[in-house]
Amino acid sequence: MDTKVDTSVHASPLGFWKRLLLSPNGIVGLVIVLGLIFCAIFAEHLAPHNPAKMGTGGRFLPPNSDFFLGTDEFGRDMLSRILYGSRITLLIGAVAVGISLTIGMLIGMLAAFRRGWIEAILMRSTDILFSFTETLIALSFVAVLGPSLQNAVIAVGVAGIPFYARTCYSAALVETSKPYFEASISIGSSPGRLLFFHLLPNVLPTMIVVATLGVSTAILAAAGLSFLGLGAQPPTSEWGYMLAGSRDYINRAPWLMTIPGLAIAVTVLGFNLLGDGLRTSLDPVERK
Amino acid sequence: MSTTLLSVRGLSITLGSDARATSLLQDVSFDVSTGQILSIVGESGSGKSMTAKAIMGLLPPKANSSGIAMFRGQNLLAKNTTPPRGTGIGLIFQEPMTALTPVLTIGSQLTEAIVVHGLADINAAHRRAIEMLDRVGIPNPVQRMRQYPHELSGGMRQRVMIAMMMLLEPDILIADEPTTALDVTVQAQILDLLRDIVFDTQIGLILITHDMGVVAEMASDVIVLKAGQVVEAGSVQQIFDAPNAEYTRALLDAVPSIEAAHLQPLSTKGTVILSARNLHKTFRGQRGVGPAGPKTKALDDVSLDIWHGETLALVGESGSGKSTLGRVLLRLTEADQGTVELGNMDLLALTGAQLRLTRRKIQMIFQDPYASLDPRQSVGAAILEPIIIQGSATKSDRHEVVSELLTRVGLTPEMANRFPHEFSGGQRQRIAIARAIASGPELIIADEPTSALDVSIQAQILDLLADLKQEKKLTMLFISHDLAVVRQVADRVAVMRQGRIIELGPVDAVWSAPRHPYTKALIDAAPVPDPHRKRGLRTPLTGSFSTGKLTEVAPGHWVAS
Amino acid sequence: MWHFLSTRLAMGFLTIWVTTIMVTLLIHAVPGDPVQIMYAQSQGTTPEQIEQVRRSLGLDRPIHIQYLMYMERLFQGDLGVTIRGGQPVLEVIFQRLPNTLMLAVTAMFIAILIGVPIGFLAAYREGTVIDIALMVLAIAGISMPHFWLGLMLLFFFALELGWLPVSGNSIMNLILPALTLGLSNAAIFARLTRSSMIDVMSQDFIQTAYAKGLPKALVLRRHVMRAGLLPVVTMMGLQFAFMMGGAIVVENIFSWNGVGRMAVEAIFQRDYPIIQGFILTFSVVVVVVAIAIDALYAVLDPRIRRA
Repeated sequence: MDTKVDTSVHASPLGFWKRLLLSPNGIVGLVIVLGLIFCAIFAEHLAPHNPAKMGTGGRFLPPNSDFFLGTDEFGRDMLSRILYGSRITLLIGAVAVGISLTIGMLIGMLAAFRRGWIEAILMRSTDILFSFTETLIALSFVAVLGPSLQNAVIAVGVAGIPFYARTCYSAALVETSKPYFEASISIGSSPGRLLFFHLLPNVLPTMIVVATLGVSTAILAAAGLSFLGLGAQPPTSEWGYMLAGSRDYINRAPWLMTIPGLAIAVTVLGFNLLGDGLRTSLDPVERK
Repeated sequence: MSTTLLSVRGLSITLGSDARATSLLQDVSFDVSTGQILSIVGESGSGKSMTAKAIMGLLPPKANSSGIAMFRGQNLLAKNTTPPRGTGIGLIFQEPMTALTPVLTIGSQLTEAIVVHGLADINAAHRRAIEMLDRVGIPNPVQRMRQYPHELSGGMRQRVMIAMMMLLEPDILIADEPTTALDVTVQAQILDLLRDIVFDTQIGLILITHDMGVVAEMASDVIVLKAGQVVEAGSVQQIFDAPNAEYTRALLDAVPSIEAAHLQPLSTKGTVILSARNLHKTFRGQRGVGPAGPKTKALDDVSLDIWHGETLALVGESGSGKSTLGRVLLRLTEADQGTVELGNMDLLALTGAQLRLTRRKIQMIFQDPYASLDPRQSVGAAILEPIIIQGSATKSDRHEVVSELLTRVGLTPEMANRFPHEFSGGQRQRIAIARAIASGPELIIADEPTSALDVSIQAQILDLLADLKQEKKLTMLFISHDLAVVRQVADRVAVMRQGRIIELGPVDAVWSAPRHPYTKALIDAAPVPDPHRKRGLRTPLTGSFSTGKLTEVAPGHWVAS
Repeated sequence: MWHFLSTRLAMGFLTIWVTTIMVTLLIHAVPGDPVQIMYAQSQGTTPEQIEQVRRSLGLDRPIHIQYLMYMERLFQGDLGVTIRGGQPVLEVIFQRLPNTLMLAVTAMFIAILIGVPIGFLAAYREGTVIDIALMVLAIAGISMPHFWLGLMLLFFFALELGWLPVSGNSIMNLILPALTLGLSNAAIFARLTRSSMIDVMSQDFIQTAYAKGLPKALVLRRHVMRAGLLPVVTMMGLQFAFMMGGAIVVENIFSWNGVGRMAVEAIFQRDYPIIQGFILTFSVVVVVVAIAIDALYAVLDPRIRRA
């Protein structure tokens, strides 16, 4: 009588998709994110008006049949602005996380792999940077380089590096301590083979989950900077910037505030749910 | 005059409901009387732990039980019966390291149940706890009450568990693999303690285990479970002397015996293929930057020769350094000092590409079959990896090489494209063996290769290793804590303790006539699967041992002076 | 335990030291001439005055000299003067810092008092409708941008309903910003507490507790809670840092007179002395709180207390 076969963990790729779709969080998240991507790609076709053109309609028009989401203080169509904004938002998320993820993973894997003093230096530095908090790092960046959307995105990207480095380091540490990794060393694998064939594929799932959740954090951070005026500048239809502009008109045109905020919230929610769903589908060791 | 304390009839457990329900236990029946030790024996998946949980009312929510378990006039399996936990029946688990709440003191964990069950007030409970700690053999009981679990060793924690349950004065104690996670000498002490308690208090003890030696030592009656069904039941003598069921017979056959004489002892000394000299390795308590914690000397001036074609066993308890020695030879852990000569090279001095190329000469089989294969690598790729690295087969040959290796270890060539999680523990270990021999090594180091496997599977794997060794003229360093397995497998044995070798010699000589007191204690402590040889209480290991230089007391037999 | 704490303390000092270095380098990272940029917005500064400022800041000297000058002034409590009004930066910061701390601490209390019990409840009722509902709420809470929440609260409570004042500095004014910060982070605490508790509940020692016959309520209170709250304490340090970061935005929405608002204005005005002072203060506060919480943890966890 042999020990039971473990069919759940690390099953074939097909099984992964199945599990993702089975988790409610995963499905909802996936739908939202796909919807967003759709809006972003086809913004030109979906938007009824030019988002930057002032005076498209009267100023401060509440949502009506001509302008689904109303118009802003310059008479620009809110719906179009929101749609174009989705493109910017996704780009922000992708670029910022791209920066944080690649550099963070490099640091994390290197530290776990090389051990010794390299590990100590890299991780202590990461810890120090980490204690600065992402907000502060992002702010410092913008303070130095000047407010602009580009700088905000880079700032958010750089600010996220410590977090990704740390997470990757922990995950990599777990994998490098496992017997299969040592077995590979004892067969005579070169460091390159160990890193790319063994470490990376096993660390990637965790990092994908972290990155998906990280997109929401990045979007929130960038929107926050834009809200403060330190990110997107006029006339960009970035949602955080739109929220900032709505402050003066809260009483008069409350939809100017609710709609962009809702857009951010739904986007972030989508990525959070998707990340959650990914996490459960990649790590199906359930509680008893 | 013994009375029946617990009477179980037709206990069945199913998991889940309706069509997809799996049956965990079917129609199990047994009795437990005062002063009786009943052993429930089975391999993994037999359902033995489930039996205990069902009686205690600790089954997971999705499990349904049916049947009758009469205890103190009530059916424990009926819907509304209060579970007998604590004051009726006590339960001890396998893993003492995680069984106690880390954030509460020993004392509070001992007394809380007494007070909750209304057996005594807090002061009286405190006194009783101290007495019980003393009873179970824990020194300085008053101090211990204020300590936390992490300050105690595994063996001590298990004693605390026993104390904790006994304080509630149950009629029956269930012990679920209580000694599996402990060293062999500690195991002996715990088993002695349990036997002592049963004798004193006349409680009934249900001992759940997979170890036939423990069964023979402890039990008066036995039930054998396989896949949830009772395959055989009877007195311990009957089970061992005249087993009825084929499964029982197979099970008993698979159990290695510490006394069976080795069939083909290696009489002449052959050439030395590996020579280790003066190896030292110290581990610090802390990792990374900061003042070092307590240092452990894992290897303390260890020297060893391995002869061509032999199986040399390294035996020891936890902390003996046997695993560290294996790892040092493989360069998975770097020794602080010393040399290892393999052929003409000093293995410890190699670096870079030369080291990588030389690695193929020594390969390892790891203990944990689940973690020693990369979950994202197909089985074929895993086996092929050493060959690819060493470049010892052309692209077109590879498929054949893998097929041949898979067949050699008892699997089929079609399995090459599957992934590790699709295989059982025993199969994964076979894959690991295929990988180990793939590059044609001179020496194979097997680090507890069968400790995580069931006894029947263990027998198969050991047979496979023996066959391969014969066929390929392999030399093996076999690391283990199981003395009986070592007797079956090894030609020579080295006994290690706290980083030093204290006895070394042909396995027959060392096992049948050990010279060092520690070796004697080890052999004494190992349970023998023969109920007619029950031992009395063993004298505990006290005092220090000679750990000096090895002197030859008989040809090829060395003992620390 | 002392080893644990002394390591943390050492790291704290190291962090602050690195901060001072980075703060000094900050000015040099600015593209273009920092002094020109600083004074670009204020009229009537002569080139001589600009040179004077440059010399007093040590910008004409090599970097390591600058650093030493900066450190020397730092130890004397001199963080420089603001570009705009010439006030000592230290004064400006100390005027506002208490407000920010008040905000962050209050928000922390709100977050813990709301989040932890919710998380505990969800864990206790794992898998039931209550659990799912609470976790949906939590995930929505995390997804909501806190500046949006702030605006909405401002809109509803201050403007529409007129219950609370829009801006100012009294206690009443603290409510909305603290709620904004606190609610967003409550969601994080809720999820954290829940997963920690669930994790603990599946541990072996909980089985032992039940096997002893202890009632469920007692097991939850004594064993699950105490073991499960430890990881939550660890996260508190991190959460406080986030809250300090979030305070920056919230102060802007509610015109709360704290260092966050000051910092944003300073960035627009390129008032580098304030920015430097702000970064340093922020770091020190975060480090101090982190060490304090680590100390608390060391005391609470017997495995560290009696290592």
